[in-house]
Amino acid sequence: MSVQLDWKWIPRGIGLGILAFIIFGPLVNLLLWAVAERWYFPHVLPLKYGFSFWTSVFSPRGNAMGSLATSVLIAVLTVVVSLGLAIPAGYALARLKLPFRGLILLALLIPQAFPNLPVYVNIARIFYQYGLNGTIFGVVLVHVTHGLVYAVWIATAAFSAIDRELEEAARSMGASALRGFWDVTLPIAAPGLLASAIFVFLESLDEFTGTYFVGAPDVTTLPLLLYTASSGGNYQIASITALILLVPSIAFMFVVEKFLRSDVLSKVGH
Amino acid sequence: MPIPLIGFLLVAPALAIVLLLFIVPLISSITGAFDVGGTFGFGNFIKSFELYSSDMVFTLVIVLLSSALIGLFSIMIGGYLTLGSNPTAVSILRWVYRWPLFIPFIVVGQVLRTFLAKNGLMNNIFIEAGIMTPMAAMSFLDWRGIVTAFVWKQTPFVTLLLAGAMASIDRSTIEAARNLGAKRIRILIEIVLPQVRQTLLVGLILSFVTMMSVLSVPLMINAQSPTMITANMAFRINAHGDYGVANALGLISLLMTSVAAIIYLRQTMREHAR
Amino acid sequence: MKAKFIAATLATGLFCTPLAAAEITVLTAGDQNMVDYVNEYLGPLFEKENPGAKVRVVGTGPGDAGSQKILERFEAQSKAGVAKWDADVAVVHEKFVGPMVEQKFLDSYRSKIPSGSMVTRENAKMALGTNVDGYVMPMFNSQTALAYNPALVPNPPKSYDELVEFVKKNPKQFGYNGIKGGASGVSFVMGWIYAYGGGDAQKLMNGPFEEGQEKNWDKAFASLKEFSRNATMTPGNAGTLDMLSRGEIAIGPVWVDMFYSWKAKGQLPPEMKLVLPSPGMPGQPMHYVIPAKSPNADLAQKFVALATSPKVQAEGIVKRFNWYPGIDAQHVQANLDKETWQQLFTDISPEELAKYGKPFPIAPYNKAILEAYERQVSN
Repeated sequence: MSVQLDWKWIPRGIGLGILAFIIFGPLVNLLLWAVAERWYFPHVLPLKYGFSFWTSVFSPRGNAMGSLATSVLIAVLTVVVSLGLAIPAGYALARLKLPFRGLILLALLIPQAFPNLPVYVNIARIFYQYGLNGTIFGVVLVHVTHGLVYAVWIATAAFSAIDRELEEAARSMGASALRGFWDVTLPIAAPGLLASAIFVFLESLDEFTGTYFVGAPDVTTLPLLLYTASSGGNYQIASITALILLVPSIAFMFVVEKFLRSDVLSKVGH
Repeated sequence: MPIPLIGFLLVAPALAIVLLLFIVPLISSITGAFDVGGTFGFGNFIKSFELYSSDMVFTLVIVLLSSALIGLFSIMIGGYLTLGSNPTAVSILRWVYRWPLFIPFIVVGQVLRTFLAKNGLMNNIFIEAGIMTPMAAMSFLDWRGIVTAFVWKQTPFVTLLLAGAMASIDRSTIEAARNLGAKRIRILIEIVLPQVRQTLLVGLILSFVTMMSVLSVPLMINAQSPTMITANMAFRINAHGDYGVANALGLISLLMTSVAAIIYLRQTMREHAR
Repeated sequence: MKAKFIAATLATGLFCTPLAAAEITVLTAGDQNMVDYVNEYLGPLFEKENPGAKVRVVGTGPGDAGSQKILERFEAQSKAGVAKWDADVAVVHEKFVGPMVEQKFLDSYRSKIPSGSMVTRENAKMALGTNVDGYVMPMFNSQTALAYNPALVPNPPKSYDELVEFVKKNPKQFGYNGIKGGASGVSFVMGWIYAYGGGDAQKLMNGPFEEGQEKNWDKAFASLKEFSRNATMTPGNAGTLDMLSRGEIAIGPVWVDMFYSWKAKGQLPPEMKLVLPSPGMPGQPMHYVIPAKSPNADLAQKFVALATSPKVQAEGIVKRFNWYPGIDAQHVQANLDKETWQQLFTDISPEELAKYGKPFPIAPYNKAILEAYERQVSN
């Protein structure tokens, strides 16, 4: 038995090893730059390691922790608003007979499909007119416009994958429409919805152009710093910022998975 | 209340946000694309095609190729996560594949630029390990770099969706097929994939759209000719202040993605009508 | 505790209107070090001299894209009819000052601050052919030059002609970033047209603009296309430095200010050197501007006055960054020891700088050259 197991681990190990190299190779680069003080040709590895760039990221005036808190707050609010809008919309698009269904789905896709660069001036103008500039609420709205496409499209797919008969069975047993949705449909669609929550969260956490035009200077998020540093080739600052941003991303993922496993998956079987 | 009206009310808030906050501002971009010195005309489109037609083809090829690879890899990973027989290998894979998801595009551009370069970390590792000679080292910072960046970043996205969908399908048919001695690859293609096809397509369309509008990856990996449409849009705006051509290019990019989306929608429409 | 913190953040974000005259907002294009400069040096200095005042800074990203974002922000506020804008001082590239002045976004403030009279350079009056006299104060002057690794290139080319020879003998050792990845490549192309454009380079720099000059450049672009076949194309300003740092190219055009920053961050070998080839390459200043609708115009003027004072130009710009000062050299030199001053000219002598440091072509020529490049070289 054990001999057979070992033999099977050879292709498995090679496959996982290659995958790990592909995934972690570039990430090792990120880690090295985060602690590199000096690194140039012909040296394969950094010449000098240190944390002086960490001190500069965390300098009190840089306000990295404040920006991080703002970034996370905005991302969480964006997820809440997006899912709040997407669950009814996705349900309607998947289940109800809607005129112009395709057109509606297409309209929701546009904020991602039209490269935003020339549009931001106009967006900023509208936000200035409504006095939304420089508010967290304004930034959340901008992120929601971009996050909705993920949320609605995925919710639609999740709801349409569910067998209609399950819901009808619940209703034939006397449950109200809302009750049937809440007890039967929503739990089954939950894995898809939560996956979309992760994407919306990450999308919001990585966004900088919209935040600059609508939020700055009153609302500053960490990706603004990341963008300036990375596109200027300041690899150390950019790598450190990216590592800091990993923390909330992974924490959010963890929370979602925990929730998925204990709560939802148990209901799916019933 | 008639059903279409209820449906519309449920969709309305989401639609209103996108309409007011994006499509209204977009309108002046769209009219700007047809504005040539104050009058209506196609000058911006003519110029776009004159200067950037090869970049449009390049963009489409890159994004289609990336989407195909993303689809393939996510089916492989998702398939193993669902049908894999060894729990240890499955949990290692589940832990490994996701990491790129958390790396913002701009950082993906940065790390791959220093990883895939001629004297970058990847070639250096190969040389140190004795797999490759220094003479054989070459740079991947061209179309291959862009495709690598897209596939690296987007495969976990599609896989996450796909694995979720695969996990929620009925296990009994899979077990039945397995008991009849069917190979796993056959189960994947004939039983699992048809049931998650729609999720896969949604994931791929969303990836397609995202890749079409990413600016930092082409800028940081290869901003030379040919390059992607977004890099040209940035160039028209930043170097020329030329919103006309930039908007025309944006519109062309929008049309490309719309075609992909419409093909998908028509198909689901047919299923929806059943 | 956490809830309280979130609530506080939320409250400041949702309801905070710009504080009373005590806080000024600085928008700055450019690399992270421009943000750090204000955060670590200029801001604290200003706050010490003006008790109660606070400085906050927002970086908008490097290169033209960063300045473009500031211009767009002004445009959005102007079109929305906002009475008091949300920026007090902005630092932008030369090229974007012209459009800002033409659209009346800026305040003419130079005569109101003491250091205003310490700038006599032509590029503080004209920006690529637009009269901006009075609206700008240069923060520093930058220059493009060829950076090279002396270990790989012991005898660097001193002119465009020598560079052409060098590239023939050493294919792919020279790298530049075309015109889409930032202004160092653009600058190299402009220098090429100054050298081989056939016409009068002075006219390109000073005007007046005439249609139909493009034909003169055909030969220059044909030879540039030939030249570029043996050159390596790099991704962006930072991309050229990046490839230099990994030894993938041996020589390439860079911004002098970025070159020194990269050295300071330990991303370039300390042996790296600069050479400014004849007949010259362009440079440009970064300018301080004050929006006409700045909510704190007085403080903003004080801020720019401090930033362009001889002391700060000496300590902040020359000593800290090794950048060429914005105000006239004699005022700055007096505030520095000889050694620090000489450091500015380690690789490029003041004479060479005066002779080969050129301005960019005026805006319409600039556009025409870029477009001709796109049609004839990269297509």
